[in-house]
Amino acid sequence: MAQRIRLAKRVVAESDRLAKALSDRFNRAGVFVANLMSSPGAGKTTLLEETARRLQGELRLAAIEGDLATDRDARRLRAAGLPCRQINTGGGCHLSARQVLDAVRDLDLGALDVLFIENVGNLVCPAEFDLGEHRRVVVSSTPEGDDKPVKYPIAFHHADCVVLNKIDLLAATDFSLEAYRRFVRGLRPRLPILELSCRTGEGVEAWIDWVRVQRRAVAGKTASA
Amino acid sequence: MHEVALAQAIWRQVVCEMERRAGRRLLAVDLVVGAWSGADPESLEFALGLVIADSRWPDARVRLRREPLALVCRACGREFEARDVDLVCPGCGGLDVDPVRGRELRLESLEIE
Repeated sequence: MAQRIRLAKRVVAESDRLAKALSDRFNRAGVFVANLMSSPGAGKTTLLEETARRLQGELRLAAIEGDLATDRDARRLRAAGLPCRQINTGGGCHLSARQVLDAVRDLDLGALDVLFIENVGNLVCPAEFDLGEHRRVVVSSTPEGDDKPVKYPIAFHHADCVVLNKIDLLAATDFSLEAYRRFVRGLRPRLPILELSCRTGEGVEAWIDWVRVQRRAVAGKTASA
Repeated sequence: MHEVALAQAIWRQVVCEMERRAGRRLLAVDLVVGAWSGADPESLEFALGLVIADSRWPDARVRLRREPLALVCRACGREFEARDVDLVCPGCGGLDVDPVRGRELRLESLEIE
């Protein structure tokens, strides 16, 4: 005779459990962790190179670099003075908590102030997977078009900060800053939007300040916890 | 884009439940796919179909229910369903909304005999 077994289980429960383990590790070590997501080519690596140069000597930084293949980005980050662990997902469309756990296993997290996780270039799948991070950053760029927020609402909805890169190219594109801001505000009225150009350096200091402020906020919390 | 991996994760949970009920036969798997779960229902159904066809219970069916994105307005407290990407509260026009349902992919139940 047929019988129904009610489960009501989240399919990503295992992934959530690993993300919680990561979050505990990060908090015990007192390191601020930001997970960066974007489409391919928006400028995540360039933003991190610029961040490493500007925060050198002030904060101890490291990065985990997620790519389908190659260690090209990791080499760029190391050249900019940012210690880096490469994860090659071999076709995997996002970084998983399991991969990040493996990557941080032999990393001295206690010796770090900030750990950046550069996710695989993809605005769809990375948004679904918690990696134990404190903050999520979506990086978009003007040549991609101003409608990215409405086309990828989940990534933007879960973000703590949006970086709009390549504003030096505004004149060469049909990108409307006003439309972009309206789309982002429509999803999240109070989400910070940092408009900058990694190439010219315009606006980058506001991003650096955001990193400083978020790190202090998280460090204050984990120290008192 | 990772529906095959999701199908495998679902199947591991199904097998785990079935192993606790040795000798029973799996008839159907009930899933709830939220509009904002990130999983594509057709791809997921297809991927899970392949996994099932290759399993101990190749005749088991997949029953998939789509759950729309439900939001609650922080300003006026009204709960509403999102149409497309229009997340504006129909009550007060507020933009400050939180998802309450439709974000999950759930293994809801199994039918066995």
